[in-house]
Amino acid sequence: MQPHLKRVFMLLVIAIIGFVFVRSLIVPDSFGEYGWYRANSVNDIRNFPVKHAGSASCGDESCHAAIYSIWKDSGHKTVNCETCHGASGEHANNIRILPTPANDSRDFCGLCHFKRVARPENFPQIDPEIHGENLQCTYCHNPHKPWFV
Amino acid sequence: MMESLIWGYIYPNEAEIQWSILIVLYPYITGLVAGAFIASSLYHVFGKKEIKPVARFALLTALSFLLVATMPLLTHLGHPERGIEIMFTPHVTSAMSGFGYIYSFYLIVVGLEIWLSFREDIVKKALNSRGWKEVLYSALALFSYDISEKALHEDEKLAKRLAIIGIPSAAFLHGYVGFIFGGIKANPWWSTPLMPIIFLMSAIVSGIALLILLYIASMKIRKHAIDHKCLHSLAHYLWIFLILDFTLEILEIISMKYESLERIDIINRLLSDKIATTFYGVQIGLGIFIPFILILLVGIIKNRETLKMIMIAISSIFVVIGVFAMRWNVVIGGQEISKSLSGTNTYVPVFFNLEGVLPAIIILLIPFIILSVLTYILPPWKDMEPEE
Repeated sequence: MQPHLKRVFMLLVIAIIGFVFVRSLIVPDSFGEYGWYRANSVNDIRNFPVKHAGSASCGDESCHAAIYSIWKDSGHKTVNCETCHGASGEHANNIRILPTPANDSRDFCGLCHFKRVARPENFPQIDPEIHGENLQCTYCHNPHKPWFV
Repeated sequence: MMESLIWGYIYPNEAEIQWSILIVLYPYITGLVAGAFIASSLYHVFGKKEIKPVARFALLTALSFLLVATMPLLTHLGHPERGIEIMFTPHVTSAMSGFGYIYSFYLIVVGLEIWLSFREDIVKKALNSRGWKEVLYSALALFSYDISEKALHEDEKLAKRLAIIGIPSAAFLHGYVGFIFGGIKANPWWSTPLMPIIFLMSAIVSGIALLILLYIASMKIRKHAIDHKCLHSLAHYLWIFLILDFTLEILEIISMKYESLERIDIINRLLSDKIATTFYGVQIGLGIFIPFILILLVGIIKNRETLKMIMIAISSIFVVIGVFAMRWNVVIGGQEISKSLSGTNTYVPVFFNLEGVLPAIIILLIPFIILSVLTYILPPWKDMEPEE
């Protein structure tokens, strides 16, 4: 074989070896153990601290029993306390640590209630352009008991 | 506003059309690559001497477009740095996972083919220039300057073998892009085993048309006479592949209509309403019918070379537009019909957006910039401009 052809094939072989080498560095060791993902990620995720306490913990100790009993029979019973009030794992363990204030912006309510074609027709949705004159939703609607205006 | 775009019943996840104009561009650019490469192999493999003036130019064109072929996909992903993952950990059940490998293989073949066919020029330039040019060309020559008769003969032999590998890999690369769509069984407009070969034929058609346009344009810019024999030969192949392309495209529609499976109502609605203009008007009428007649006339008319050149140029422009419309009709058309088979949505392109028309135009312009840089480094002009 001509020397220049040898060189170009050498270059090609180096490129392929380089690819295999970089791949071996980048692909995590535990990749593919269980499936098409990094197996160690299962442990990593398991070791994350628990941030949420769950809605039951809000009513359990009769701390927020009144509002809890209203909410639990309302149309919003499938929307957990922490959806609006923020993760309160720490707050449940130590009441001195307050959870972040509830998100009561129009856009936040709109995540579920702004009109979208992809939503079932009978699901309550509004067109933010023509409904409510840019007032906060909670000005008229009670989030703990929707329709209780 | 969105309701006005929707007719009938569509599933919630179809409310937004995910594959935008960038995904139209992906098979379009890949097709131009495959087409240009196959045009060059008409000379390199099949020894069609009349194509010789554009053979090396076609390879450079193929490379310029090949280098940006993945760009629409990476832009669409929004995380281009993750693109390489498809090669590091390809999922074997996904048709897309092979793309990185097929693309890389093809890139190597085209790169080697160009290197071999330009090696003599590269070595001469390396030996005759000074400064940064000497460094550049010496590096390109891999610091091996043997251009003896024997070495060049070896190069030619290897180039021919590579071109022989190149044809099936070009066909594979583009047929594969067709397969990505043709293999989606949930979509009645895409799911057909004919898709890869339809894509391949339209790829060849668009690639040859692009080559014709670039050839005419570069000769006009360089103020040099056009080799009409070469031009007519290219037009001749364009015409043959146009017929094949049209036959397959129409065969698919005919068999869909004849079989009249449950999908036919929505397909009819797609063809008669949603993509009527881009399908019958642009893809078939402008992109196939008019070029077919014009090139037929080129074959009949005697002399009058300028008129014939204009006719070929117009045909090529129409073909390039028509094939873009074909990609549009497949990619966008397929998403405009619902998998419920009883509803449609409408794609409205936006201009200033990462998924918009502007990035599509930019991506489509990059190959021409690359081509002008490549032709500056590796001028293919001496094939096109024989000393008179």
